[in-house]
Amino acid sequence: METYGLPFPENAPDPGACVRIERPEAGLAVVVLDPPHRSLAVLDAPLIRDLEAAVTELENTHGLDGIVFAGAEPLKFAAGADVDAIESITSREALFEIVMQVHALFGRIAKLRPRTVAAVGGPVPGGAFELSLSCDFIVAADDKKTKIGLPETMLGIIPGWGGTHRLPRRIGLPAATQAILTGRLYPARSALKLGMIDRMTQPERLLAVASKIALGHETPKRKERGWKRWAVDRNPLAVGLIMRKSREMVLSKTRGNYPAPLRAIDLLAESLTTSVEAGARKEAEAIADLGPSSVCKALISIFHASEEAKKLGRKTEDFTPRRIQRAGVLGAGVMGAGIASSFADRGVGTRLFDLASGPLDTALHNHRKEIAKRLKRRRLQRHEALAASDRLDTTREMIGFGNADLIIEAVAERLDVKQSVFQQLAEQVSPECILATNTSSLSVTEIAAGVPHPERVVGMHFFNPVKKMPLVEIVLGEQTSREVALSTAALAVRLGKTPVLVKDVAGFLVNRLLGPYLDEAVRLFAAGVSPRRIDHLMLDFGMPMGPLRLLDEVGLDIADHASASLHAAYGVRMEPCTDLDAMRSPDRLGRKTGRGFYVYPKSKGRKKQRETLATDLSQFQASQDGDRMSDDDIVDRLVLSMLNEGVRALEEQVVESATELDLATVFGMGFAPFHGGLLHYADRMGAKALVSKLERIADAADVSGRAGGREKFTPAARLQEMARNGARFFE
Amino acid sequence: MIARNLLEEGPKIVLAAGLRSPWVRAGGAFRYEDAGHLGAHVARELIARTGIDPAEIDEVIAGSVGPPHDQANIGRVIGLRAGVPQSVPARTVARNCASGIEAVTSAIANIRAGFGDTYLAVGVEVMSGYPLIMGHRLTGYFEGLMKARTPMQKIGAALRFRPSMLKPRVALIEGLTDPVSGMIMGKTAERLAKDWGLTRDQCDGFAMRSHERALEAQKSGRLDREILPHLAQRAKPGARAVDADDSVRADQSMERLGKLRPYFEKPDGIVTVGNSCGITDGAAALMVTTEKRAQELGLTPLARIRSFAWSGCEPERMGLGPVYSSAGALDAAGCSLADMGTVEVNEAFAAQVLACARAFETQSWAQKHLGRDALGELDLHRTNVNGGAIALGHPVGATGARLLLTAAHELQAGDHELALATLCIGGGQGGAVVLERSA
Repeated sequence: METYGLPFPENAPDPGACVRIERPEAGLAVVVLDPPHRSLAVLDAPLIRDLEAAVTELENTHGLDGIVFAGAEPLKFAAGADVDAIESITSREALFEIVMQVHALFGRIAKLRPRTVAAVGGPVPGGAFELSLSCDFIVAADDKKTKIGLPETMLGIIPGWGGTHRLPRRIGLPAATQAILTGRLYPARSALKLGMIDRMTQPERLLAVASKIALGHETPKRKERGWKRWAVDRNPLAVGLIMRKSREMVLSKTRGNYPAPLRAIDLLAESLTTSVEAGARKEAEAIADLGPSSVCKALISIFHASEEAKKLGRKTEDFTPRRIQRAGVLGAGVMGAGIASSFADRGVGTRLFDLASGPLDTALHNHRKEIAKRLKRRRLQRHEALAASDRLDTTREMIGFGNADLIIEAVAERLDVKQSVFQQLAEQVSPECILATNTSSLSVTEIAAGVPHPERVVGMHFFNPVKKMPLVEIVLGEQTSREVALSTAALAVRLGKTPVLVKDVAGFLVNRLLGPYLDEAVRLFAAGVSPRRIDHLMLDFGMPMGPLRLLDEVGLDIADHASASLHAAYGVRMEPCTDLDAMRSPDRLGRKTGRGFYVYPKSKGRKKQRETLATDLSQFQASQDGDRMSDDDIVDRLVLSMLNEGVRALEEQVVESATELDLATVFGMGFAPFHGGLLHYADRMGAKALVSKLERIADAADVSGRAGGREKFTPAARLQEMARNGARFFE
Repeated sequence: MIARNLLEEGPKIVLAAGLRSPWVRAGGAFRYEDAGHLGAHVARELIARTGIDPAEIDEVIAGSVGPPHDQANIGRVIGLRAGVPQSVPARTVARNCASGIEAVTSAIANIRAGFGDTYLAVGVEVMSGYPLIMGHRLTGYFEGLMKARTPMQKIGAALRFRPSMLKPRVALIEGLTDPVSGMIMGKTAERLAKDWGLTRDQCDGFAMRSHERALEAQKSGRLDREILPHLAQRAKPGARAVDADDSVRADQSMERLGKLRPYFEKPDGIVTVGNSCGITDGAAALMVTTEKRAQELGLTPLARIRSFAWSGCEPERMGLGPVYSSAGALDAAGCSLADMGTVEVNEAFAAQVLACARAFETQSWAQKHLGRDALGELDLHRTNVNGGAIALGHPVGATGARLLLTAAHELQAGDHELALATLCIGGGQGGAVVLERSA
């Protein structure tokens, strides 16, 4: 039995079980991908094995006019390559072989004499779309679930089974470049418009229409690019220009940390002058280079971790998440308004309370504005937009919450205020109603104290801006029931967020790690390191934003408040730096006041003006000596201050596993995804090296001389132990 | 005439709760508002505030005179958009200006007939949304264009265009004209003015008082208890939710009223836009149920409904409808006009309300038209104490529901036992409801 080098999954079925050929009428063959060991077909070893057998059979069948490739159901085609298997391969040669073999198989499909039609629907990512591209025609199911594209660059590889060659041939170079570099999955309608597919029909009619096309009763008109084919795709000057622009765009976004998009650009540049067969070798080489790289492994591990996190709160044998149909949100500030709008977007009838009418009106305006935008972009239909808009109501009196299944508060960060709103509400809601708090600095356990049925009080910590930040920390207070926490997590998943369960410790996880990191950035700044340098170094490291810029975003007052509460909870190692006190003033609190480390010009009309560093910062720097530090030292101080705290949090089991910690750092603070998260980064550095680096920093004169400096950088116990026995966080 | 005493036999009916949007001048803040959206907002909030599980509602009934063309059964649209489950039926009823009350009396009739006991009654009208209609000639022109096949036919059809085809039909004006008598509503008011010898000064004085009272009610916050602030669709960024009726004029004066030209009978008539109700957008919702059910739901009713009546009269003098129907409702309730602590008479036109007041007290008229003694004096001090449609506006399908809501609140605020809410109806009808304090 040929194994293709691709490892077989444990539950692989017998040969021939994954693919069957049906002959519904004369001259027509329907190849159905329906592996018994998966709910959605994946292009794994057994499927490829059976697909090859099927193709061989088709090659030897006479009298065929058409062949349809279809999934088990109209909205279940296939989900691309077997990511687990690819992740497990570390050998360059093995990867190269696998890509070449599948390429050969797809090449044979492309050469089949009868008309071939791919009947796709549901998710059609990567390999599944590349298989479809090898057919003569593609028909897709017109359904919301249909998403077609080549997302491989998101996982640190490239579309290696013909994607970089067949897609530009089909839709032209500019569109293909965009599709591959963004990794976007297109809805059926957009895919049709771009020419990625040839025909769209209702899911129920998918097979019938595909069969009609296969038998030649209908020939969909291929979208022709006309003169553009010659003026753009075949014009070396135009191709050169597009590629140069794409490269610039990729570099400015990734700062060179992600090699995959650049390799994709190289392949695309030659794609239209190279045959698919010749391109195969190049694609295989690219995959062989990229696949075993740490970037690819890191991205795949995050992908897995987030898929795993999304299973939180899913229905199991002994747990059924509560159906949250109506919710209340208290406080219409930035967070409350954002949360309420997200709820309403995702089908939860939401009642937003605030004492003042101004914020309520603003919240409604913003909610409707976003919906209008999506309506305009045709992401929503009119009736859906109306319903989404209807689902958000506002009230200035704390009444009418009786039917709520969940209430989340985002009122002022004061324990007495939060306790009192919950106590007030407890009188009108049912005892089962979940009471969630969006607090970032108070203890969930303390908020729950005095509330009837405290087991239903849970932390649901969103990050700002709510609509963009993917992480939600689900905080379990001492009395919080697991059922409540999991139901809340399920709601977060429904909102399109990634939930992580965390313990009720000060700062929870993300803010607890951000605290020492931002504090260290301020100390470096005060010691004389140029603020531009600090931010640029961390951008190069892979953070989405420099720490000083992030402080502006958070607000200097909020950050001060947060570090004070961390200090109170963790003691001397979180001693906050006081050097910023001189800079902080009511009109200088960061972005919200237009000035902080940076100056934020008021945007005039449509033009958005970029922020610039304030010119008067040097007066807040105690000395200029710090600027003599090396780049590596600066990065180490910043990253290791966070890393050391992360290890302590893991020791205390603030999250259940290292995987969750990494997920939270990537989704919650944007920690460089190509490192795979904080602890993956630690593994790459090695515990031994980290410990010696930390000790060196702790001994540095300026660190050991300041209050709490030594405690902050003394390597965490677990790290020291790992250094002694050479252990890692991940195997 | 249909009249019914609701205290004899059968369950007692109450208005368990009610709420309305602000009444907003048409073409103003609610210019792009959609009747379904407006009605649903009020209904949804009413459901939330009462804490009723919407599945407990037996039916949604909406009154509307001119629902948007894409929401013919606007009751269903409002029900679903307000979060009432799909399994709960909904319908739309119409009785011109009394549609809002019609929704309530339909609910009462259903409850009394044994069909459930919990009804959501809504009155809604977005007059801003009334369309201009293409005339028959323009429609015919387009038909011709579509049917033309050959190029020559097409050119021929295109050449048949005349600019006069563009003259639209105005749904608002045609809607306010009674097709049987051929009179637009304002003309029926002029008819009454001539019948009863009313003067321009009397009408302007009545209008002036309506504004003064409405302004006073706004200042004292008496209207806030019934109004739900509403942020209109497509409101400009930064615009605030409207939280008060916006046609009340603080700067109204007899002098300004006197300067207006008569609108319907130029130049000698007395009905002006100043002493008539305005064209308005608004929605109101009422929870209609039995006393027993309200208790089970933990609701303190606004008022009990003692009787109601619908009556017919001459279309040309439709403005006198309230006199006919009030006679019926009062008789059925077993009380007199003098017993009423507070009265809400819809102010379609000042001349129309003043004519009603005369008819109420005129013995000869009563004997001729009602076949009985006069009902007595309509005490204008106790009538429309918070102002009426001349100041607040008149969103036709919604007004009836507001009259009940305002009267019910006034029972409590003014510490009265009984209240009468009545209005005239285009086409020659009157409607009246007698409310009493519940508990």
